[in-house]
Amino acid sequence: MKHIFEFDPNKCCACSACMIGCMDQNDIDLSDETCFRKTFHNEIEQKDGDVYFAYLSVACMHCADAPCIEACPVGCIRKDPETGFTIYDNTNCIGCRSCAMACPFGAPRYRKSDGKMVKCDGCNTRVKNGLQPACVRACSFGALTCVTEEEYQASGSDKACSALIDSLGLRRK
Amino acid sequence: MTELEKKLKAKIPGEDTGIEIRHSLCAICSPGHHCGVDCYVKDGKIVRVEGTPEHPYNHGKLCTKGSSLRNYIYREDRIRTPLRRVGERGEGKFEPISWDEAYRIIAEELNKVKERYSPHAVTFTSGYCKWYRPIFHRFAHVFGSVNFSTDDCCCSASKVIADKVTAGCGAGPDMGHANTFLGWNYEGYYSGHLSVGGVQKLKERGGKVIIIDIRYTPAAKNLADIYLQIRPGTDGALALGMAKLIIDNGWADMDYVEKYTYGFEQYKALVDQYPLDKVSQITGLDPDDIYAATKLYATNGPACCNYSASALVHHINGFNSHRAILCLSALTGNFDRAGGNVPNPPSYIHKPAGFKTKEHEFRSERYPGGQERIGARRFPLWDQQFDEFQGMDLLRQLETDDPYPVRAIFGMGMNAKMYPQTDRLLRAMKEKLDFFVEVDMFMTYTAKYADIVLPACSSLERSELKAYQGGYLVYTQPAIQPLYESRSDVDILCDLARVMDLDDAYLKAGYEACMDHIIEGCGLTVADLKKNDSLPMKVPTAKWPAQPGGCLKNGFKTATGKFEFYSTAIAKIDPKYGLDPLPSYYDSLADQNDPETKAAYPFYLCTGARLAHALHSRTHETPWLRSLCPEPLCELNVEDAARLGIQEGNLVALSSPYGEIHAKATLTHKTQPGVVLMLHGYTKANVNELIGMDHLDPYSGYPGFKGMRCAVRKCQEVQ
Repeated sequence: MKHIFEFDPNKCCACSACMIGCMDQNDIDLSDETCFRKTFHNEIEQKDGDVYFAYLSVACMHCADAPCIEACPVGCIRKDPETGFTIYDNTNCIGCRSCAMACPFGAPRYRKSDGKMVKCDGCNTRVKNGLQPACVRACSFGALTCVTEEEYQASGSDKACSALIDSLGLRRK
Repeated sequence: MTELEKKLKAKIPGEDTGIEIRHSLCAICSPGHHCGVDCYVKDGKIVRVEGTPEHPYNHGKLCTKGSSLRNYIYREDRIRTPLRRVGERGEGKFEPISWDEAYRIIAEELNKVKERYSPHAVTFTSGYCKWYRPIFHRFAHVFGSVNFSTDDCCCSASKVIADKVTAGCGAGPDMGHANTFLGWNYEGYYSGHLSVGGVQKLKERGGKVIIIDIRYTPAAKNLADIYLQIRPGTDGALALGMAKLIIDNGWADMDYVEKYTYGFEQYKALVDQYPLDKVSQITGLDPDDIYAATKLYATNGPACCNYSASALVHHINGFNSHRAILCLSALTGNFDRAGGNVPNPPSYIHKPAGFKTKEHEFRSERYPGGQERIGARRFPLWDQQFDEFQGMDLLRQLETDDPYPVRAIFGMGMNAKMYPQTDRLLRAMKEKLDFFVEVDMFMTYTAKYADIVLPACSSLERSELKAYQGGYLVYTQPAIQPLYESRSDVDILCDLARVMDLDDAYLKAGYEACMDHIIEGCGLTVADLKKNDSLPMKVPTAKWPAQPGGCLKNGFKTATGKFEFYSTAIAKIDPKYGLDPLPSYYDSLADQNDPETKAAYPFYLCTGARLAHALHSRTHETPWLRSLCPEPLCELNVEDAARLGIQEGNLVALSSPYGEIHAKATLTHKTQPGVVLMLHGYTKANVNELIGMDHLDPYSGYPGFKGMRCAVRKCQEVQ
């Protein structure tokens, strides 16, 4: 069953519990790598003098048509047919960073210690075992959720559009 | 990778992976919270932590800090063995010693001070955690000292006392039945994550939310229908002004006032001095906004109010500000009414759970008397209303020996950064104390001054009795064995009671016996609770939820039996202290308004406004959390920064008449010009150095952490 990450910026406060959940799940070594997810609390000055206070949480978007997959010369990255997440096996990774350059969100990261790419895999194994992605599990406010494709369609997909408009600071308070 | 390898990497619990889920609780923050956690344990080590879904308090949720629990407990600076100081106090040089030797030295040194001076020359001082406090409190008394103090001397108790001398008790917002929520200083996202859902639900059913805060917080953005960005320290004036509007417009519940309150005429005379234009001038708010918020609060009831535990009472006028806000609840007939604020007394260690325990008796029945407590002469209202000494007077007494010397401190999680002018306190401790023993999980800035340091274990490594909202009790089992040689705080105290041969059968019998005594009659025993896999059990005698109307029916627990606009308890205090029985307003910088100080320190410094990754100094050294904000930051308004030529990330000097610290600037639109915010608890940029040791609220003794004059200047990078 395909899964989709949803983000509601009107519930987010950039508390970063999602990042800590990710660090705990993925044993992120902060001396060498950064968390796969990142939060932002930006104050965006708008043309009319107003300020939009943006609270955001971003990781791999698990794009339907993920450019990183095409960009990888050794075929490390693929789609999981079951969950739809963009997963990878970096055994053959040559550390060329093509995936990172192709990604509009900068999701894939180069890890110095072994010279290989790492990224958010949507906690693919957790989801397949009936658990939520670690970042979603850590969100107390319902800002970050992970739903099945059916649930997503049933809920109406205008949320994603709303999120984008807000995250670009296009909406008045 | 095989399927099993994948599951191991993903930490999927199960027989095949050998990863077992063990329940425990997170004790990083205040015991008003302490969420249930699922520890994923493999080979005796915790590999992951999640909130416990079936836990009746947090329902699987954890905040940022709780999510870092694994990183917190496996920190490098955990104290591993008992230690004896070998260098100078503060130098941090220690040698490991055995537990037996440590106990022997502690017993000997404490008894020496007791014999040479008096038992009261030994003070017992607790920082975080709070779970062991009934045992520690009793220990102090049985030892013979009247001097027991905790972080209550600067956290929440001021509000508790203000509640007591006004209404006889506190009361929580009945969010489930309210139509309007007056979120005075309410910022749930970073300080009480589980409270946000209740406000969201109120909004979903059409309820209205007013947020009053100096900072445009996520709560102001995501929840507020009306947001009042008030000038810091002026909340008391706003509350009095709102009261005048309510009375003048006929929005007061005069039936309630007549039946259930005392001192209305004097109160009315006070609020008459706060007409809208004057209040607008003091608070910096638009009169129309004040009017709109007041009308909504007073006419769209029932309305409940957030009584903030610390944000307001950390102004030197905060005790009265809180009383003034409390009075609004009575004036509008919302106190002890459904949808308003409903009394719900704590069952055990700050947690309301709908049943009675013998906590208070256990703590205080052995009070030795024979000497006044530290601070008793300076803060008589505190001394009369609270059974701990006011620790904000400790530094003065250490320095002056007046009225008697203090020569030893038994600290459990004692944190000198909690006190204004931290380094001056540590200097006094270094010079004046014959003995200082400190129990802590981590080698803190304060622990480095101790003669003996003992390693405490974390909540995941021990058992603990804990009450929860909903009428629950839990007795946790250790999820893992204590790390290194660390021990449970309560076992340390009970061991010491035996080594010192203290005259108390309870302490000598150990923690479980003490807890069985405290909860006796509730319908459960520790043995019952132990059978429930570290999950909370419903207490048979618990009455939950709290029903409103008890005070209205049976009388308020005040001298008059009424809600006291005019506090008779305060009226009894010697007039020489100048405490007003009415919740009158005075300036939060009243002690710093001479022209020279005003000119030299033009900014309003507000410390300790919550951020999600921190709780006091407790989590600053936790690597995952520290990575979210690696440097101490000072928040400046963008206009002020532009005027001073300060850009994002520049090093700035913050100074007050008491000191100077350096921190990086971050620029924001969330505060008004003239206001500077700085998080507390950093060792290298300890903002409490800037708060004067005498900058205290005369009613409570609370320090003005959230209202102090300061200066800001850009400085050269020298680091």
